[in-house]
Amino acid sequence: MNHTTTALDVDGVRVAYPDGPDERVVLDSLDLRVAAGEMVVISGESGAGKSTLLTVAGLLRRPDQGEVTVAGTSTSGLSDRQRTTLRRDHIAFVYQSANLLPTLTALEQLELVGHIRGERSGTARARALALLDELDLGGRRNQLPGQLSGGERQRVGIGRAFMAQPTVLIADEPTASLDPERARTVVDLLSGAARERSIATLVVAHDDAPARAATRRLRLAGGTLHEVVEPATDRAAAGSVLGVGARVGTGG
Amino acid sequence: MFLALRDLRRGVRRFMLLGVVIALVALLSTVLSGLATGLVTDGISGLRALPLDRLVFQEGSDATFSRSILRPADLKRFQQVQGVKATPLGASFVNAAPVDGGPSLDLSMFGVAADSFLVERADARAALAGPPGLVLASELQDQGVKVGDRYTVGGSSEEYPVLGFTFAGTYGHTPIAFVSLSTWRQIQYSNPDDDRFSAIAVQGDSPELAAAAADTSTVVLTKTQAYAGSPGFTAETTTMTLIRGFLLVISALVIGAFFTVLTVQRTRQIGLLKAMGASNAYILRDGIGQMAVLVTLATGVGVAVGAALVAVLSRGPAPVELAPRAIATVTLALIGAGILGSLFAFRRITQVEPAIALGVEP
Repeated sequence: MNHTTTALDVDGVRVAYPDGPDERVVLDSLDLRVAAGEMVVISGESGAGKSTLLTVAGLLRRPDQGEVTVAGTSTSGLSDRQRTTLRRDHIAFVYQSANLLPTLTALEQLELVGHIRGERSGTARARALALLDELDLGGRRNQLPGQLSGGERQRVGIGRAFMAQPTVLIADEPTASLDPERARTVVDLLSGAARERSIATLVVAHDDAPARAATRRLRLAGGTLHEVVEPATDRAAAGSVLGVGARVGTGG
Repeated sequence: MFLALRDLRRGVRRFMLLGVVIALVALLSTVLSGLATGLVTDGISGLRALPLDRLVFQEGSDATFSRSILRPADLKRFQQVQGVKATPLGASFVNAAPVDGGPSLDLSMFGVAADSFLVERADARAALAGPPGLVLASELQDQGVKVGDRYTVGGSSEEYPVLGFTFAGTYGHTPIAFVSLSTWRQIQYSNPDDDRFSAIAVQGDSPELAAAAADTSTVVLTKTQAYAGSPGFTAETTTMTLIRGFLLVISALVIGAFFTVLTVQRTRQIGLLKAMGASNAYILRDGIGQMAVLVTLATGVGVAVGAALVAVLSRGPAPVELAPRAIATVTLALIGAGILGSLFAFRRITQVEPAIALGVEP
C-alpha cells in the first residue's frame, strides 16, 4: 500500500482495550491515508477513539493489528528506538493545551527541538528566530509559557512542530481552548503550512474551525472512518452550512 | 542538559529544599571528618610525631605496648638488619603525683635511650642523659606544670623533677612524658637494670625485617598500623566511619526519593519529550546532568561552610582538625551517593509511554 506521495498510511489497524473480562474494540480495520500537502480533519464523538487513532498514527503506540507507514517506512518491524528516531525525523505534534515546557522561553521551546535532533545550536537558533518572526512571536521570544496568552502559547506550540520540519503533523484539538478569532489564526497557520511546506496534516477537532480549512473531512465512528459529505460550495460563505453538515454527520 | 540547566535556573525554589538538605549533609560530613581527624590527632599525635617508620611488637600483643615485652636478644636481631636503625622503646601509662600536693597527672610514659634517633632535640638528649627526670609534653605547661616540679611516678617512691618540655603530643589521649630507658625500668619494674622493654622503634625499611620478625616471634607494624593499639583509637575511628557511612546512605536515599518524586511529577513532560523524538538516553543524560550539577553545587557549599566551621572550632578546645584529604573524600563520596540514588529514580524514565503526551493512558 506504499505510495510515494503518501506521507502517512494507516492500514487495517485494530486497537482494543481490556474492559473488565471483555475487551473494547476502539479501532477496527481502520484505513487512513494522508498525502503530503493535505489537511485531513477527523471528527467524532467523545470516546470514539480519535486520540487513540492519533497515538497510533503518530507512532506513540503500536496497534494490535495492522501497519502504519510513515514517509515510506513500514513501522511494525521497528524497535522502540527506531520508532523514536522515525518520530523525531518525520512527525510533529500540536496539542490542545500547547503542552509547552514550563521552564523554557518561547525561543527555547523551539531550540529544544533542534537540540533533540542534534542540530548545531547556532543553526537551531537561527531557524527558531525566523520561525517565531513568521508566527508574529518575535517580540515574545524570551517569555515563559506562563507569561504568554493562550493564543500565543498555541502559536509557539505550532512553531515547535514546524521546527521539526515534519513529514506528518498531528494536531489534537488544536483550537478547542481558543476564541474564534485565535482559532482561525491557528487553523490558517496549519492549513497554510500543509500547502506551503507540503506537510501531511492530520487534525482531530470537535469544533468547526479546522473543518472549514480541511482538504478532506472524516468522521470516526464504530472503529472506522467515514467520509463527511461536503456540499460543494464556496468555502468562505459555507461556514454555517459546513457546521450543519458536520452536525448531521455526527448525528448520523 | 539543554532542559536540565534552564529547569534548575528557573525552578530554583523547587530545588532549594533538596539543595539545602544535601548542603547540610555535606556540612555535617565535613565537620565529622574534622572531628575524626582531630580525635586521631588528639589520641596519637605523640606516636605520630616520633621519628620512626615501624614498630616491632611481641607477637599477639595487638600493637598494645602494655602487652608487648621484648628482650635484648630481639633488639640485637633487628639491629643486624641492613639498612635500618633499631632502638628499644618502653611505654606505659602511669599516674604522677606532685610531691607538694595538687592535682596528679595521667601520663603516657615513653622510655627511650637518650642517644637514640628517637630523641631529636639536643637539649632533650642532654636532659635525658643526666639525672633521672621527666621531659613532658608542652600541653602540660598550659596546666601550670613548671620545670623543677617534683613528682612521684607510678608505684615508685622515688621523686622525679620535671626537666623540661617538648612538643611530645599524646598517646591514648594522654600527654606523653619522656624518660630515659633506665628510669622507665625503675618505675615499671622497680629495677633500672632490668633488660626488658615494650617495643622496638625502627627507622627505614628492609625486606629482611620479616625474617627478623620470624626469628624473634615478633610482628613489624607500620606506624599507622600501630595507632590501632592506642586505647580508644579503633573504637573512635570505627564510630566515625560508621556515622559518615550512614550519612552517605541517607543522602543517597534522600536524593533518590527526591528525584523519584520529581520523575513522577514530570511523567507527562517525559512523555512529551519522547513524543518529540527524544531517546531514553537523551532524557537520562538530562536528568543525571541536572542531579550532578545540583549535588555538586550543594555539596560544594556545604563543604565550604563545614570547612570554615572546622577552622573556627579548631581554635577552641574541641579536638577538630581540618583535613583536606578527608574533605575531598567526603565531597566525592556525596556526589557518588547522589548518582547512585538518582539512578534508582531514573529507571522510571524508560518506563514512561510517549502516548501520555496526548493524554492517552496506554
